[in-house]
Formats: sequence, C-alpha cells, structure tokens
Amino acid sequence: MLKILIIIPAYNEQDNIIRTIQDIEKNIPEANYIVINDCSKDSTRSVLCDYGANYLDLPVNLGIGGGVQTGYRYALEYGYDIAIQFDGDGQHDAAYIKELIKPLEMGQADVTIGSRFINNEGFQSSAMRRLGINFLSALIKLLCGIRVKDVTSGMRAVNRNMIAEFAENYAQDYPEPEAILAAGLLKARIMEVPVQMRERQGGTSSINALRSVYYMIKVSTALIINRMTLGKR
Amino acid sequence: MISFRLQIALLVALGIYFFLVFYLLKKKMLNLKYTLLWLAAGLVMLVLTICPQILATVSALVGVFDPTNALFAVIFFCVIIILMSLTAIVSRLNERLKRLIQSDALLEKRVRDLERDR
Repeated sequence: MLKILIIIPAYNEQDNIIRTIQDIEKNIPEANYIVINDCSKDSTRSVLCDYGANYLDLPVNLGIGGGVQTGYRYALEYGYDIAIQFDGDGQHDAAYIKELIKPLEMGQADVTIGSRFINNEGFQSSAMRRLGINFLSALIKLLCGIRVKDVTSGMRAVNRNMIAEFAENYAQDYPEPEAILAAGLLKARIMEVPVQMRERQGGTSSINALRSVYYMIKVSTALIINRMTLGKR
Repeated sequence: MISFRLQIALLVALGIYFFLVFYLLKKKMLNLKYTLLWLAAGLVMLVLTICPQILATVSALVGVFDPTNALFAVIFFCVIIILMSLTAIVSRLNERLKRLIQSDALLEKRVRDLERDR
C-alpha cells in the first residue's frame, strides 16, 4: 500500500479550506493531507485548529513556492511514496485525484499534471490567460522538449524521487511552470491527466489582470535563466 | 595626469573610508569576510591615487582621454562589484531563511502533536 500525501497550500482561505478538506476526506479517505497555512492574515489558522485539521503553520509568509516546498519536506520526512499538490481555494475537485495518481502507482510516470486542456471540459479560464498559458507551454517545449498543455495547473502529483528533488530545490515565486521545466531537465517522465476545475469560489486569485504582463515577463525570464544554469543533468 | 589637489582630496576621502571600515570591524558590525571586498576596493583606489602614472597608462590603453575620468570609472566599477556581492549575500540569506522558516513550521507541528498526545 503506497503512502499518499496531499499538500494543500493555503493563504487567506478561511471560507474554502474546510470544504476542500472535506472534499478530500470524502473522495480519497486512504490518503493523508497536510494544509500549509502560509501565515494567513485572516482566521485560516483558527478555522484549521477548530476543525482538528492536520496543518503546518508557517511563522513568516513564504509565498506559494516556499509553502509547497514545506509540504514536500514533510512528505520526505515521513516517507511518503506519492505527494499531490492541491489548491486550498476550492478550484480543484478531489474526485480526480485517483485518476491523477494512477500513472504514478503503475510506475508509468514520475510527475502527473491535472490538465484542463486535454478534454477542454470544466472551467477553461479567460482567452487572454489561455494565450499566456499556451505561450509558456511552447517556451517549455522549446527549452526542454516536453509538451505540457496546462503549465500553470496547481494540481499535480509526484513520486518518491521527485519528492526528494522538490524538497531540496523548488522555485519560490511562481513555481508551477518552473517546476515542470526543472522536472523536464531531470529527465522525469511527465504525463498530463484530464481533469475539470471550478472557478474559484471565494477570495482572490494571486494573479490579477494588472500583474499578468509582469508575470509573463518574469516567468519567461526565469525559465530561460533556469535552462541556462541548470542544463540537462 | 590628475592634479595634486585632487590627489590630496582623494587621500583625505580614503582616510575617512578606511577609518569607517576599521571602525565598523572593531565594533563587530561587519563580518570580516564581507569586509575583505571593501578593503580590496580601498586598496585599489589608494594605489591609483598614490601612483597616478598607472592611471595614465591604463587610460591611454583603453582610450579614456582624461586620467581623472578613468579614476572615477575605476571607483564606479568597484562600487558595482560590491553591490553585486551584496545581492549575492542577500540571496544566500534569503535561501537560508526560507529553509529555517520551513524547519520551524515542521518542528512546531511535531511539538503540537506531542502536546496533544500527552
């Protein structure tokens, strides 16, 4: 029996976090989960505490990358075989987790990514966002030869080797595309699994319209620099 | 050739510079390893001020007409190098701090679990 950990990064998610946990407990009761409370300013922490949830409480805000990495370190420390990243904001549906980890259980992949753009079902994001995602996808293909359609998807699962790698090295600011490139350069087998996502139910996304141009420039630069400095190991 | 006046002014400035560096070192407000770069930069400036002939040769070599300008360029270059090293130091600190915060959170959870099971 494989030990499975679901890592749930949460920043100011007092309205969504318990629903997310219940969704997981209902759909995949054999797995453990850990919420990473990234020094939320609202009452996320007390909500988690009252519920008796399994959570880590970061004393200083680290951002999504540093938060998720804490989850990978936890997974490594407690010897988990599979770690799953799952957003705490209610966008992800735990019903797809079983499908997501199947290729890992069969040993067919090292990394799986829950992708909205395989069957093009569920919430598809705005046209502008999809344009940006397609651009980053093409850039990653160019840099490491691996084609991933939904590069910004925060729903992903990795096996033991990648847990150890991500516990050691993980991008800090906008880590989703960078983690794919890093895995690609390590020659990890990456597979996309079709999932549906919901539009977020409360709170605000970490990427608003004004920041998205800055986001694109920053991520593209970071990807190119990563390719130059990491190389293929 | 740089003027004698400028030479005197630079020597006074360098005197203050070295005094400050050593003062901060003595007060343990600077780590020695980070100070080495400051001392090296000061030494370069001192050598160039005392022996302006070097400066004249170098400026002729790289096509700077006035050795005074070459002197300023060298000083500016030293400042850039020091700034870059500062960014490197901050980045390293940032990485270490991140790991420390993560370890703190992992330990805090352990303590919480232990207290609950007691």
